[in-house]
Amino acid sequence: MISQIFGAVMLIYLLAAILHLIAELWASPRLQAGGRLVLWLGLGAQTGALLGRWVQSYRLALAHFPPGGFFEKLRLVITHVPLSNFYESLVFFSWCLPALGLLAFRRHLKGYLGALTAVLAALLLAYASLGGVDSRIKPLMPALKSNWLLIHVVTAFLGYAAFALAFGSALLFLFQERRPRPSLPPLPALDRLIYRTTILGFLLLTLGIVTGAVWAETAWGRYWSWDPKETWSLITWFIYAALLHARLLKGWHGRRIAWLAVLGFIAVLFTYLGVSFLLTGLHSYLT
Amino acid sequence: MPATRIHPKPRSWLWGILTSLRLTVFLLLILAALAVIGTVVPQDQSGNYYLSRFGDVWGRLLWRGGFARVYDSPWFLAPVILLAANILACVVHGLPQAVRRVRRPLTGETALLLPERGRITWAAEVDPHPLITAALSRELGRCRRETLPDKEVYFLERGRGRPLGPYLIHIALLLILAGGLIGKFWGVEGRLVLDQGEAAGTLQVGPRTERPLPFQVRLDEFQVAYYEPGGAPKEFRSDLTFIQDGREVSRATCRVNEPVGFGGLTFYQADYGAESTGPIGLTVQLGDQTQPIEAPFRQPVALPGGRGRIIAMRVNGNFQGYGPGVLLAFSPGAGHPQAFWVLKDHPRWGDQPAPYRFRVTSIPHRYYSVLQVRRDPGVWWVYAGFLLFLPGLYLALVRPAERWALVLAKTPQGKWQARLLGASPRRREEFADRQERLFMELKRGTPS
Repeated sequence: MISQIFGAVMLIYLLAAILHLIAELWASPRLQAGGRLVLWLGLGAQTGALLGRWVQSYRLALAHFPPGGFFEKLRLVITHVPLSNFYESLVFFSWCLPALGLLAFRRHLKGYLGALTAVLAALLLAYASLGGVDSRIKPLMPALKSNWLLIHVVTAFLGYAAFALAFGSALLFLFQERRPRPSLPPLPALDRLIYRTTILGFLLLTLGIVTGAVWAETAWGRYWSWDPKETWSLITWFIYAALLHARLLKGWHGRRIAWLAVLGFIAVLFTYLGVSFLLTGLHSYLT
Repeated sequence: MPATRIHPKPRSWLWGILTSLRLTVFLLLILAALAVIGTVVPQDQSGNYYLSRFGDVWGRLLWRGGFARVYDSPWFLAPVILLAANILACVVHGLPQAVRRVRRPLTGETALLLPERGRITWAAEVDPHPLITAALSRELGRCRRETLPDKEVYFLERGRGRPLGPYLIHIALLLILAGGLIGKFWGVEGRLVLDQGEAAGTLQVGPRTERPLPFQVRLDEFQVAYYEPGGAPKEFRSDLTFIQDGREVSRATCRVNEPVGFGGLTFYQADYGAESTGPIGLTVQLGDQTQPIEAPFRQPVALPGGRGRIIAMRVNGNFQGYGPGVLLAFSPGAGHPQAFWVLKDHPRWGDQPAPYRFRVTSIPHRYYSVLQVRRDPGVWWVYAGFLLFLPGLYLALVRPAERWALVLAKTPQGKWQARLLGASPRRREEFADRQERLFMELKRGTPS
């Protein structure tokens, strides 16, 4: 039932993308407002469905771990956040995109950028629903039973989403630079948006890596194991650190920063998908 | 092009290289390339593995060149240490100046030195004071005010700690690197493999190296709980007893995510497995004849019909959640042996070598537990680095520095004139926007 809601949310995001696109092409503020409303609608429905899945997985856990006091109950709720397998991570990634866009970058999320965000969110949901990904709620394996699960996954994926927005702005920048369109945001505004989204992503990725390290220390006794996912997240971190240094110390702007943001997002995608499918390691429960 | 330096005036040639951003980029590229090798080439395998997987030339190169353990190789450690030196040099180079800048707050006097952004002159009869207070508080927030001889200065400073931010981040990185190296050279790391009921007094720290413990650890019981029969494991736990000088000192239960500490070491539930405790009962079907056989663990057994032998290689108490299973290797006389799993509860699954069909009737086994044992004196350095990241990132990236000043004085003609000064080197665009809005507000009272 809840998986079907995610399928419907995918269609809503597609509709939002189309509305944003048409609004851009026809320069219609009314369609733009409609697109925004539809995007909010999709986000609301997805939030509801996510919470619903959380409740389901908590209920399922109650059968196996009857909780005692308040804190045990709280712990059970926290550890059963629906972020424990590949399907749930895809759904949460897709949720992060419009959520971050609508909440933190409201002014910029219109036209092509709005459409890009909505399309990306829809693609992730489409992959989750139609790509043959196992959507069943499974009991939690021992390594994931930790309070760190919630904060680690949430910071990591919000970071990915911020980098996705930076990537979208970078694409628009490169496109706008080649074939200027007056309806698109001006280049300096896009440049600034790349920078701001990258900063947010960098903060969140740092937190994601740090919380992951602390968790690994408590679970396996090693805060760093050079597991492929760890290594690639570090490479991604290096790339964005390079971007920030280039901008802050060398005064790089515009096209070169945009290309670095594109490169960084490729590394993000490899960290998320490539590592899980092409390499094996500690994070292999994702597949 | 000469190597670009973060700060001008290097003290020497070597110092210039050590503090250059170019060295940082170069080292990071090397480290990234090695890290890519480390994720693509499986690590910590045997020499033969690399030879058979990558061929003679490449396999030898990887094995001999230390790429089988990239992260412990000099190729990796040398750039890491150089990177640490690079970061340290940059910190030493720039930190004193940053501290000086942070310790010098903006005053009415020093505000006058900020770059000028524009002037406004009001008509002779206008008193701009209320206008200025309103405009400043709306656009900038609460400003301080100082009266100097013949002028008044309104000024505001935000993010004064900003220059410290990057240094905090880089000191944090140094702490983390130091912690890693401390753990590497002064830490203890080993494995403890215990059968149920067994006590051990040594730790396996290398492939063939052991290290005595000042106490003994006994595995009283190992348990695996499943969510449902044949389902996924829900929990595995080792009940441990620590014995010192022949006395039982302490008991504890070690679970995944719940390590146990004793004697300065920490014990983590890392793995478990099953081993055979007796011959494995099998039935062998050849054509329409079925015959029971017993296969002692890791010993070849000739098959009825004489068309090959089998060896029971490994047992598993719960193979991928599908119940007990045994790994059999079948060798048909000449030719390569073929290995396959046979599951007790799912006899039809899996490919089996023709012409035989095997089923398992009994797999007597017992569990053993693998504990990861560590003492890492570097971990607190690493955690200190993590904690220092937070204020560092906040100062460096979230809170940009900005300084504003508005200097109000009378012109020789007796009119009020305001000069707007200010700077925000990291947020030029936002600064320009606010400057423009501020001018709009201030100009309301001027004759256009």
